[in-house]
Amino acid sequence: MKTKILLVVLGAGALWAVQPAQAHHAFAAEYDEKKPVTLTGIVTKMEWVNPHGWLFMDVKQPDGKVKRWTIETSGPSQLSRRGLKKADFTDGMSAVVKGYQGVKDPAFANGRTLVLADGRSFYIGSVGGPNDGADR
Amino acid sequence: MRYFRHRDAAAAVVLVAASLLAGCAAPAPEQPPPADSPYRPVASIREVMNSVIDPSADVVWLSVGTDIDHGRQTDRVPANDEKWAEVRRHALIVSEAANLLMMHNRPVAPPGAPSLAPGVELTPEEIRSLIDKNPPAWNLFAQQLQEAMKPALAAIDAKDSEALFAAGEKIDTTCENCHQVFWYPNAGAPAR
Repeated sequence: MKTKILLVVLGAGALWAVQPAQAHHAFAAEYDEKKPVTLTGIVTKMEWVNPHGWLFMDVKQPDGKVKRWTIETSGPSQLSRRGLKKADFTDGMSAVVKGYQGVKDPAFANGRTLVLADGRSFYIGSVGGPNDGADR
Repeated sequence: MRYFRHRDAAAAVVLVAASLLAGCAAPAPEQPPPADSPYRPVASIREVMNSVIDPSADVVWLSVGTDIDHGRQTDRVPANDEKWAEVRRHALIVSEAANLLMMHNRPVAPPGAPSLAPGVELTPEEIRSLIDKNPPAWNLFAQQLQEAMKPALAAIDAKDSEALFAAGEKIDTTCENCHQVFWYPNAGAPAR
């Protein structure tokens, strides 16, 4: 019984750990403008939710290991207005995301642009991001 | 179209910034709470945000949408009347918590609390100063939050997940408009 309770608690903790932070903060409080990243990998999941979308991407590291990145995007309605659709997220799709790495969690990033395998490019940045020209 | 939300946000920020500037030129008359005010704030604005508004707003936001897992789409919709009622409770919490923000004597943060992101987000003292310079502007944002919650409540009552999803963006824009004036007005430094 004690083992079962422990497993439930551990499971709840694991769920909590993988949940993206939802609290509002300024861009610079959560992401490092001095740490731009270019991530090339396989998109495994997209959470098309308010107030921000969350893109999950497996990126192969130089040592061959795969690192799971969690990437914040702008709200889904904005993504739609920029031409990105839910149907664009297909199984096994490769993509390139440019953005900025998280301050506290190096596996987090704020996405600025998303380039799909067919060459289409979308601005996926949020309000308050750096003036880097990604939205032009 | 591409910059729709930015335009809305920018317009609101400009409007309130102008209001704040006007407030600097001619400070808004202080409106001390009535001596017999029955209100006794327990939590600071930061605590109301972190403990009441943000967690409940998350329930409203995350109740609808779509998860796309390896290309397979699964819509998020409250599964039954009980789930819809739960979302409604949280929408009401956000709506009514806006009134808590407007209470005159609520501190911005617990005593001695620093900025949680120094240099990016203002200190509690700086936020207090901005609020005190123009309480009507602060109250206007709180009231706009209540207005933004109305379509969400209507959508919940109609069990209309698409309308609730659309309302979610307006709620976020309203939050962001206020934050850009009172919380992190200096954020968004140029990257080039």
